Amino acid sequence: MVANTEGKILAETGEGTAGQPPAEKRLGEPDVFKALRLWHFGYAWLATVFVLACVVAVGLYAYSRQLLHGEIVTGMRTIGGGGATWGLYIVFVIFFIGISFAGISLAGLIRLFGIATMRPIARMAELLTLVALVMGALCVLADLGQPLAGLLNLPRYARPMSPFFGTFTLVMGGYLFASFVYFFLDGRADAAWCAQRSLHFRWLYRLWACGYGDSAAEVARHHRTSLWLALSILPLLVVAHSTLGFIFGIQGGRPGWFNALQGPGFVVMAGVSGTGVLIILAALTRQLLRLHHAIRPEAFRWLGNLLLILSLTYLYFMIAEELTANYAAAESERKIAHEIVFGAYSTLFWTVVGCLTTAAGILFVHFLRGGASIGWVALAGVLVNVAAVLKRYLIVIPSQTHGMLLPYPSGTYIPSWVEVSVVVGLLALGTLLYISFAKVFPIVPVASHGPVEQPETIPAEPTRRRFLRTIAFGITLLGGIVLAVIGFALSSRFGTKPTLDPVIPYSPVLFIVGVVMIFMSAVVYEIIPSAKFHSKTIS
Amino acid sequence: MNDLREGSSKPAETHRRSFFTTLAAALAGIFLLPRRLFSSEPARERLRRKWGMVIDLDKCTGCQACVVACRAENNVPVAGPAQTQNDRGIFWMDMLEVSEGSYPDLQRQLTPIPCNHCENAPCVKVCPVGATFINEEGIVAQVWARCIGCRYCTTACPYSRRYFNWQAPSWPETMKNQLNPDVATRPKGVVEKCTFCHHRIRRAREKARAEGRELADADVRTLPACAQACPAEAILFGDLGSPESEVSRLARSPRAMRLLEDLGTHPKVVYLREAKWKE
Repeated sequence: MVANTEGKILAETGEGTAGQPPAEKRLGEPDVFKALRLWHFGYAWLATVFVLACVVAVGLYAYSRQLLHGEIVTGMRTIGGGGATWGLYIVFVIFFIGISFAGISLAGLIRLFGIATMRPIARMAELLTLVALVMGALCVLADLGQPLAGLLNLPRYARPMSPFFGTFTLVMGGYLFASFVYFFLDGRADAAWCAQRSLHFRWLYRLWACGYGDSAAEVARHHRTSLWLALSILPLLVVAHSTLGFIFGIQGGRPGWFNALQGPGFVVMAGVSGTGVLIILAALTRQLLRLHHAIRPEAFRWLGNLLLILSLTYLYFMIAEELTANYAAAESERKIAHEIVFGAYSTLFWTVVGCLTTAAGILFVHFLRGGASIGWVALAGVLVNVAAVLKRYLIVIPSQTHGMLLPYPSGTYIPSWVEVSVVVGLLALGTLLYISFAKVFPIVPVASHGPVEQPETIPAEPTRRRFLRTIAFGITLLGGIVLAVIGFALSSRFGTKPTLDPVIPYSPVLFIVGVVMIFMSAVVYEIIPSAKFHSKTIS
Repeated sequence: MNDLREGSSKPAETHRRSFFTTLAAALAGIFLLPRRLFSSEPARERLRRKWGMVIDLDKCTGCQACVVACRAENNVPVAGPAQTQNDRGIFWMDMLEVSEGSYPDLQRQLTPIPCNHCENAPCVKVCPVGATFINEEGIVAQVWARCIGCRYCTTACPYSRRYFNWQAPSWPETMKNQLNPDVATRPKGVVEKCTFCHHRIRRAREKARAEGRELADADVRTLPACAQACPAEAILFGDLGSPESEVSRLARSPRAMRLLEDLGTHPKVVYLREAKWKE
């Protein structure tokens, strides 16, 4: 099995001429390690880490001010009194959770449709999802007036009646864990590969590999689990992003927010910004690590076309939204829409329109010419992300400063240095995590899973082993489903008295554990070794 | 053999039947026990109550005595002039300035605006941890200790009647000894709001019970601090659940209106005004 793994290292990281498809070739390990610069800490990298760490430190200092003095140090104020009570933190919560969209959805799409050219960026995409979700969770914590109470009371009392429940359980619990499982299982082959070759922390790679031996049966199992994971993550993703949109969309008393388009709009905008960030990441990684042969321009053409479709869809949503609100909405709705399109927020609004239109234009020309210009696609990625941040700002802020149904005075919101520092600190922390990971683990897949072999060519598994796997998998999956149903029912009290506390404290945790177990079943299914074929584990 | 089989089957059936009977009794006991433990006469009396407030705008002089009395009664922290200017002040009872018409036919109506204690409260729906809830007497209550400070309720309230503690509460030195011991002070980072002076309701109920009678309309008519302080008696408090109460009678008057009625929040604060509102 060991020899088998060695023989399947892709030569994409080595020499080859541009424009030609990647050729498979055996490479010595030092070449791949050198190309990916694993465990090689150059001056440029250290300097980048230093700068990022400084930015994170400034963010931490700013947050310490907030913890000490309260949120009076932010630019947020009382709603109705002339300010916005949700500010930059909530804007970036949406942004971070939004960019997490691209990662796992693209990884899922790559798996479902077998898009070979995109495979090298699948790991980047998965990592982006994980890092972005963690940053999103930290951003929620930064926003809370009582972060400690939040950590204790959300698991204890969370109620499905609140749209926040979906964000807390499905996004922070289910979606994060599902992405982690996908990431973990997809990385096992490379972890096994690294465990054999790395000079550092072999035990850690071995732990990740979980005895992966690249046998035909294991490869077939991984293909099967990744297919089912992709199939289940994609709907979860739509649900998760929609619940985030519903936080705003189902507020009847807040003009501008109360809108059926919020859920779908959040899903599409998440796709736009996530694909944009992934393009930027892939382009930068390709450039900095000189992975020109591993990440082909075709991948960018694919991503560019996807971004084009999503940007156009979002532009269409915006037109539908603003037309309805400006043409025939109730007075308060019209006031907000007018304020956004022509009033105090018009500069931001037209910047969003400009950025999205320019990006769509660039991508359309790119599509027509059939080329694969990475620079232009990356520029579109930057533009859509500027649009994404500003559009989130336009969703969150104006409805608070100008969206009063009673005759309260209109207000303004200007983020304070504390909020800006915390958000920039989080962005730096995310980047730091990303570049640190890329130093210790291949950011592009190096060990191929190999072609899926026909079932008849895979030797039959011993019955006892197969039985054990089926039982363990079944128990985890069914147990997860039962726990999730019970947890949800106990939290929501079956809809009888939804305003009351969960029947049993910590029932929301039951729900989360259930969702986690459902995805854990994939791990159980995949890592139970078929003893007969796996007597020789990687050492 | 037959006899033997019959002989052995009978006790088994009896066992099974007794087992099911015991199980059913145990289950019934589990479901009934808490109710028996917690149900009591006063609780049933409370369930009938639906506290509400009537504010007569034709009587209101806009003196803001209600605003001041509310602050003193409920230990509302003092933000100071600078932070109040910055909209960080807290006003459980506030004055909403409504301008009507345009110059030269311009009028201003100062409207006292406490929490509306909606029957279908948007703030209660969105609270992720149940820190705000509608109690059995219809008061929208807030558990300070449970609040996580996400401010979702603040954005959800269409009346903007919820206030976040942007900083640790503080009072001028001279006021520190005057804090009301009946009302807890709130830490920084939680949301607070009007409670219809529920501590006063509790005290009035205890007094009535000690005197061996039910709480009467006259006991609560000017019970909350704002109603008690109003020199024009423009604010009246009472039980909207009882058709005979004064507030119920006034709430049925043709002068009665509620704020943002079309949102379906069913506020329990009723305003009275003779003149029609101008655009």
